[in-house]
Amino acid sequence: MIDYFAIGLTHLLMALAAWRLVMRDDLDHEIKPDGDPKEPGGA
Amino acid sequence: MLDLALAAFVLGFLALGLRRPFLWVLAYLYIDIVAPQKISYFLLASIPLSLIAFLAAFAGWLLADDKTDSRFTARQGMLLALLIYCGVTTLTADFPVEAADKWAWVWKALVFAIFLPLTLRTRLRIEAAVLFMVLAAGSIVITGAIKTLASGGGYGSLHFFVSDNTGLYEGSIISCVAVAVIPLVLWVARHGTVFPPDKRVRLFGYALVFACLLIPVGTQARTGLLCIGLLGVLSLRSVKNRFLYVGVIAALGLVVVPFLPSTYTERMSTIENHAGDQSASTRLAVWAWTIDYAKDHPLGGGFDSFRSNRLVIQTTDTATAGNTSAVAVNTVEDRGRAFHSSYFEMLGEQGWPGLALWLALQISGLWQMERLRARWGKRALAARGAPGAGPDAQWQAPLATALQQAQFVYLLGSAFVGIAYQPFILMLIGLQCGLWSYLRRIDSPDRAVIRPPLRLTPGAEPLMP
Repeated sequence: MIDYFAIGLTHLLMALAAWRLVMRDDLDHEIKPDGDPKEPGGA
Repeated sequence: MLDLALAAFVLGFLALGLRRPFLWVLAYLYIDIVAPQKISYFLLASIPLSLIAFLAAFAGWLLADDKTDSRFTARQGMLLALLIYCGVTTLTADFPVEAADKWAWVWKALVFAIFLPLTLRTRLRIEAAVLFMVLAAGSIVITGAIKTLASGGGYGSLHFFVSDNTGLYEGSIISCVAVAVIPLVLWVARHGTVFPPDKRVRLFGYALVFACLLIPVGTQARTGLLCIGLLGVLSLRSVKNRFLYVGVIAALGLVVVPFLPSTYTERMSTIENHAGDQSASTRLAVWAWTIDYAKDHPLGGGFDSFRSNRLVIQTTDTATAGNTSAVAVNTVEDRGRAFHSSYFEMLGEQGWPGLALWLALQISGLWQMERLRARWGKRALAARGAPGAGPDAQWQAPLATALQQAQFVYLLGSAFVGIAYQPFILMLIGLQCGLWSYLRRIDSPDRAVIRPPLRLTPGAEPLMP
């Protein structure tokens, strides 16, 4: 049960992160060196 | 069910790589840390997952990735030299069969550490690599921490998903790595853009740090306690309010100690009085043997050269009753004991040249991170007041600091555990090389244009560095 929770939670987060990364242009090319208007630093 | 879910996750991950080949690099990080093929019983167990992910990552970089920004740094050269040197000592090893077994995983870890920095060309890639290392290690740490809370753990009795003592699934190793990863967890929680810092991210980050701190309690590895202590001292350099920090740590200590299981406090007390402890005495005997061995074999005896040792260990037990103390001296004979220290592992296996190369690799990392920390720390302070500089000058110095702290913790922990080629730590070194190379590149004066922007936001003016 504990194993399922730990695997489930972290794998869900990794899947979400992978999906978000695929969607971002700045993964493969730096768009500009300072200030990225698309990605605010805070929530 | 778990098998299906893991297989679906891995397949999905690899499929996403078709769209962005860099995802295969992350897939390799994940597979190497979590080893899903070992958790799985049938579906993934029969597939050479690690090899597939590595080949995909390498092919993706070779065929599809832009290589104009990839740089081969001096420390990657050191890794390459270490790889070649280890290859040579494997050919002439004292124990050729055992040495070949160890070589089989060491070369992969070294090759990946050399390769990783070549792919870390953008800020987001560096962050993604840190994030996946944190989450992948987190999957092991979280399960260990919850089991510790539930049962109190015990030396050698805390079970993770995988019960073979390899990779990160060994008590002393995960204790050291879990503490080393704490600075990276905090960095991701504060400076991440994949999961921008909000309440949930911070909550998860702090919970994961707590889980990391519980691992040395659960595994009852004494190394972990020393690592926590060192990290606490190192953090004094970066915290804003030192008095508050020391106060909080002291208060936490007072609150936590009564809740620690008694087996844990008993075991920890043997750090001071190691004469009665066979494990500590064995270590000292192995280390003395290794120094002698290096006199006869200055170029190293190849992997697993410890197998030829024969040790006679004396332990003293002092029992005190009233005013009288009875000292019992026990003599124990032992053979083929492992090095129990990365420094002696390097010396015994790769000789003085190997140890020197390994130390140079480690010390140059500490030095490079210190330089980045100083340079970007100043810039971050300046940027806070500068209009338009925004948060983009703020993440570099903290990441360099986190990577340096992680390495310091590792270097202390590895004094008592033979983890000189631990793949997770080699990835960390790869990250350091990547960060160093990336920041030098964006810092160089001739870099007027970044990349030809593919889909630049309309109206956004390119800024000069």
